[in-house]
Amino acid sequence: MKHVLLKTDGLSKSFSSGGALQHVLKNIDLELYEGDFTVIMGASGAGKSTLLYALSGMDTPTLGIITFGGTVISSLNQDSLALFRRKHCGFVFQQIYLIDGMSVMDNVLSAGLLLCSDKKALLEKAGKLFEAVKLPPETQNKFPTQISGGEAQRAGIVRALINQPEILFADEPTGALNSKTGLDVLGTLTAFNQQGQSVVMVTHDMRSALRGNRILYLKDGVILGECHLGVYTPDDTARHETLAAFLSEMGW
Amino acid sequence: MKNSILLARSNLRTAKGQAAAIIVLILLASLMLNLWLMLSMDYRQNFDRYHDKLNAEHVTLTVDSGSSEMREFLAKTLKKDERTAAYSLEDSMHTVGLFTYNGGEVNSEFVFLEKEAALSRPVGTVEIVEDSRIQSGIYMPMLYQSDDIAIGKTVELSLGSKKISYQVCGFFNSVMAGSHNCTMCEFLLTEDQYEKLKASDYAPESTLCSVRLKDKMESENYEAKLKNTMSAQYPALRTVSNSYALVSQSRYISQLICAGIMSAMAFFILLIALVVIASNIVHYIQENMKNLGALKAVGYTSQQLVLSLLMQFLGVSLTAALAGIGISYTLFPSLNEMMIAQTGIPYETRFLPAAFFLTLAILGSAVALAVWLSSRSIRNVEPITALRQGVRTHSFKRNHIPLGKTNMPLHLALSMKTTFSGIKHNLTVCITMLVLSLVVVFSGLMTENMIRDTAPFINLIVGETADSCINVKAQAEQDFVRKMKDDDQVKKLYLYDSIEVRHAGGLGLMAMICDDFAKANNQELVFEGRFPKYDNEIAIAAKYAKEQKLHIGEEITITANGKKASYLISGFTQISNNLGKDCLLTRAGYERLGELQNPSYYLNLTSGTDIDEFNARVKQEMAGAVNTTINIDATVSGGVVVYVSLMKIIVIGVLMLSAIIIAFVLYLLVRTMLGSKKRDYGILKAIGFTTRQLILQTALSFMPAVTLSTAVGLTVCSFIINPLTALFLSSIGIVKSTFLVPVGFIIIAGIGLILFAFATACLLSLKIRKITPKALLAGE
Repeated sequence: MKHVLLKTDGLSKSFSSGGALQHVLKNIDLELYEGDFTVIMGASGAGKSTLLYALSGMDTPTLGIITFGGTVISSLNQDSLALFRRKHCGFVFQQIYLIDGMSVMDNVLSAGLLLCSDKKALLEKAGKLFEAVKLPPETQNKFPTQISGGEAQRAGIVRALINQPEILFADEPTGALNSKTGLDVLGTLTAFNQQGQSVVMVTHDMRSALRGNRILYLKDGVILGECHLGVYTPDDTARHETLAAFLSEMGW
Repeated sequence: MKNSILLARSNLRTAKGQAAAIIVLILLASLMLNLWLMLSMDYRQNFDRYHDKLNAEHVTLTVDSGSSEMREFLAKTLKKDERTAAYSLEDSMHTVGLFTYNGGEVNSEFVFLEKEAALSRPVGTVEIVEDSRIQSGIYMPMLYQSDDIAIGKTVELSLGSKKISYQVCGFFNSVMAGSHNCTMCEFLLTEDQYEKLKASDYAPESTLCSVRLKDKMESENYEAKLKNTMSAQYPALRTVSNSYALVSQSRYISQLICAGIMSAMAFFILLIALVVIASNIVHYIQENMKNLGALKAVGYTSQQLVLSLLMQFLGVSLTAALAGIGISYTLFPSLNEMMIAQTGIPYETRFLPAAFFLTLAILGSAVALAVWLSSRSIRNVEPITALRQGVRTHSFKRNHIPLGKTNMPLHLALSMKTTFSGIKHNLTVCITMLVLSLVVVFSGLMTENMIRDTAPFINLIVGETADSCINVKAQAEQDFVRKMKDDDQVKKLYLYDSIEVRHAGGLGLMAMICDDFAKANNQELVFEGRFPKYDNEIAIAAKYAKEQKLHIGEEITITANGKKASYLISGFTQISNNLGKDCLLTRAGYERLGELQNPSYYLNLTSGTDIDEFNARVKQEMAGAVNTTINIDATVSGGVVVYVSLMKIIVIGVLMLSAIIIAFVLYLLVRTMLGSKKRDYGILKAIGFTTRQLILQTALSFMPAVTLSTAVGLTVCSFIINPLTALFLSSIGIVKSTFLVPVGFIIIAGIGLILFAFATACLLSLKIRKITPKALLAGE
């Protein structure tokens, strides 16, 4: 029996656009499990990112409840949500979003020091993570504009993991990268997941989705279906076929 | 041009808040600038207008005699002098007197004229500004119109040892003798009252001589020569005189103070506005590099882009300046009312085209220069580079405060990073706080030395003060001194008299005579060298010494009563009463020129003694010996109250203005910062920073510049404020200001300024609440 990390009951999100109400998420009941690499797929406008924002406490739902470890986060105010994100979540963004005015190391430490006051331990942890994502030490003192997109995204992953979050949310993490660096980043995420890190990733790229063990397909604001792929292994053709069949079934 | 206008309009639409803040700063600058120009260009000239309107004299002389022989000599003397244009001699009565005004006492040389005679004088006429049907009574100078001195009310004058009451019939204006600042003060009596006073022995008959000169610049020399001639011919006759130079300055001291403060504030605010504009333009170019590149790519020239900025800022500035000028005209009547309380000369507010255009020209050219200088970098924008770089034009070369190495708390370290990355913002903050530090120190200095404790101001302006002044008959002097020494209520008694003498080859000087200057209450009267100690020593006014190139240790010749004597200059004094034309002599020193007639003594009374009651008792007990008694405390208070009220308003005004300026400068900076760091704030919120933490970081990022510049500003200004004050008051004879710098007040005000800046920055940063990580992810 897997441990439920995050749970939604009747999650709905509506936006007002030009006077008309748009229901982007409709009554979603969902459970996210510890240790899973959950991938949320769907066509453009299906509500993938909206679901990710709501699950991660970046946005509040219009209706419904989101529970994390017994705490209802859907009713928290903005500052409490910030504390929730700080303690329990890590984020990897498509646009990377490192702060230009800070060195790579400072970007990581600015997140780490929010929770940990032991600077020595934190620097040690950051060093290990940099090593794990294969980011050379000289990169750590550079500014984001002085490194490549792949390096920046790997630095972004280090920042996301520095506080050992229960869930790592990744929004199209390879979207702004070329094919080679995209694969490196996915490899990094997979490696962390295989060490026990729970990951929730939004993507519309099938190659990225293959990394997940649980695929959710979102269409018009509802979860149309889900598919379980098991533990990721490279060059697994059966995995690829299963996902292709699922997506075909979903109308992809 | 048309394209540049369109661009300017588009820029304005996207920067409404910035435009609003610049409007406020320019509006305040133009308001102050126009008020200053109105006061400087026209207000003072109003004296000349009235002077001409009333065909007023340039030299006034009152001689305590009505004899035809004396008048013939006087007329002959006037005619003989080629500088005389016209003159008028009038029957009058003259005596030292006092009356109660504004809670204090006005003490002056009173000159009584018959009303109709005064109105028909060819030179030195007066104008009735308020009249009534009351047939018998007195017309007072309009300066003294108040709740207690009003038409129909009774005013009591003390003339020597006598008291006389009159019903007030009306008020008049006299340019040269309509205020206690003129050395002498005229009063008009109805014919019956004039005859009644003449029949009494309250005031001796005198001749009022008013001389109009061909060249008003000669007034001081003419006055000195005329007085000297009369003293030489009639040494026993008492004479009192004034000159155009003295009166035109002394009646406009409040105008001088106000205009000086207005101009300083106007230029300070303008400087801040220009720094803010320049900082905004530099920021605009950085943030709009992509747009500027795109505009250049489609064919806009650098000149057109600079022109659009020029039109944008000039348009905003000139609109604000017009509004500021408009507001200055609505505020001017209140300012005028305060001024009239000191000048006593009516002024009608009118539109001044020269001030109007000069204000616009100064502001317009300053803003244009600031825009042009700060927008020159547009010329270096290359379309392709700008388009490629987009909005990220910062080149981070140095990692300030590395988080891994610093021991600072996280939020402080992040604030410091922001501080170090915004040097231009810091510069704006520094200039603002340095200017405001000067305002704070000035306010502190004035509060301490003029409002809380008026003594330092009085010492600087009036010179020597005590509780009471008693003028005694020469023959009764020894008896008076003996009795006063035995009186339990007298703490200190010393001779302190003033008599006019003349510097041979120079001007007339008011000599302050004291038996022992070590007894004087104001030991700072001599600020360089020392008080005269021996009969061959003199201390002279520093302003006069500078004009005459006289130095300490030099010998000068003084004449009086037809005698002359040489004295060594022992020190320099500064007393604004005679606008820097005075000297100090010991009694023995003066007696080398003649005997003191009816000497005046200054008295310090024991604590709790009622000065008026004491004076009345002395007058009663020594009726034969005492001529007049003066409550110096009340007299000085009455004169100083106008300046104190004016300074209170100025201090409150400049402090409020400072708060507004800080708020607007910080508004502009915070707004710019939030605009440029919106993305960073979104990221920080996404990774778990709370709104409160980010607000704190933003406000803290301004604090190093605020704290450092405030501390440096307050320290430097504390040292330079006295020399600045002296420079400011140099035209009235002040060379060295020794006002007490209130360190406690300045420290508290400095802390208040920093806390206010911090609180304001926090409040203005509340907008961070609206920045959400979701908006960042959605690309808003």
